[in-house]
Amino acid sequence: MKSIADRNLMREYLLGKLDNQTELEDKVSDGIVNNQVMIDIVDSVEDEIIEEYLEGSLNSGDRAAVEKYFLEPPQRKEKLRFAQLLRYYFETQPLHHTATNRESFVRPPTPWVSHLTRYGAFAALVLVVISTLVYVSGVRTSHARLENQLAQEREHSANLVKEAELLQPSIVALTLVADRSRSAETPIPQVDIKSSTQRIIVEIALHGVASGPYEVRLETKRAEGPLWSARLLPIISSNGNARLVFDLPARGIESGVYSFVVSSPTASVGHYDFQTKFLN
Amino acid sequence: MVAPGASRTLTAEAFGRFLRWLSENDERAVLEYQSIRTKLVRYFIHKGCSDPEDLFDKTVDVVVGKIDTLREHSSPLAYCFGVAKNVWRQDLRQRKPASLGENIAVPTCPDLQIHEQELKCLERCMDKLSPGDRDVVVRYHQGQGRDKIEARKHLADGLGGVNALRIRMCRIRRDLRVCVAACLDQWAN
Repeated sequence: MKSIADRNLMREYLLGKLDNQTELEDKVSDGIVNNQVMIDIVDSVEDEIIEEYLEGSLNSGDRAAVEKYFLEPPQRKEKLRFAQLLRYYFETQPLHHTATNRESFVRPPTPWVSHLTRYGAFAALVLVVISTLVYVSGVRTSHARLENQLAQEREHSANLVKEAELLQPSIVALTLVADRSRSAETPIPQVDIKSSTQRIIVEIALHGVASGPYEVRLETKRAEGPLWSARLLPIISSNGNARLVFDLPARGIESGVYSFVVSSPTASVGHYDFQTKFLN
Repeated sequence: MVAPGASRTLTAEAFGRFLRWLSENDERAVLEYQSIRTKLVRYFIHKGCSDPEDLFDKTVDVVVGKIDTLREHSSPLAYCFGVAKNVWRQDLRQRKPASLGENIAVPTCPDLQIHEQELKCLERCMDKLSPGDRDVVVRYHQGQGRDKIEARKHLADGLGGVNALRIRMCRIRRDLRVCVAACLDQWAN
């Protein structure tokens, strides 16, 4: 029998997969409520699930469990939103904080070190001269070796570039600002989908705001579908601009022209066309 | 008993009876109440309930209804937890089953102005972290793809393993979340 501190068991518990196993579920619940030490473990498994959800690395079963069970409590939705904020912060502002450069730490000198430094200055100077001579000689002899290493590094870099090409991001963004009636003379937006793409983050700028939720349907250009649908509330900025933001599974999307049909009981129907191009 | 799904709040009278049951000493009763509340709300969150606070209130309602027969109960937490499990089972049965074709989209951004303020608050809160914690969170998020995996592996090695890193990151995220929430409150007021 697994220990209740087992992270995989905890994960199944948090995704609701033990709900039909009364005895095991009871045991884990009792363990968490009666043992404060478990709190950190449970919280860290929750964070791990959220992180994998955002990375798009969960399998379809776990993803469904996250969306239909795990994210039900508002506290978890808030946790998810904060995780998104943190990711966005580090993706867009990487230069604001850099890891500690340990070499930059300078300790203040202690008195005995000052004395030693004063009397040892001359000896140190002699040592530096000798070291420099040895260093120059060393540089000459190691020059050929460094060139060899440089060539190896270049080869390694080329390999890393190839590997990086394989590690494409699993999420792509698509922004749609003009519906079909307003974009007759402009080319429709295109989104490139790679084999690694799992989710498309879609943002639709709305013209006017309707009260209540919007119905969003994904159709082919020939109005076949819906291939996907959802009911969404718009996000409204302080200056009154409204937009719909959601993520769409990339699975099943092929090269071609698609359209999001956006409707609400109080607004006219909008068609937001876009083109997908599948890249290998 | 309130009908399932009906909105409910714990009445002052019920709350008073509940506190008296926890302890005759006011201060001790409040502390005990806070401890039980924290644990049971957390339990309902773990069980994927959409309104954990409401289920806690329901639990207390049930307990209050039986208080006269519970005078001598040795562990109020154990009793309340037993009731909470039943309340959760009942809630689980009443949940609307999600249809197979249903897609649930989670909004990814709040209002633009709030989002910008959140980023400013996060920047401020990052500065408030201890140098050690800041170093860990920055290195944890550095790089992409394989570089990121390698960086996290090195980080974990330095902290005593992957689980130690996960728990450390969890605590840092919690500190940042609390700090950002406080900063946003300050900004809003």
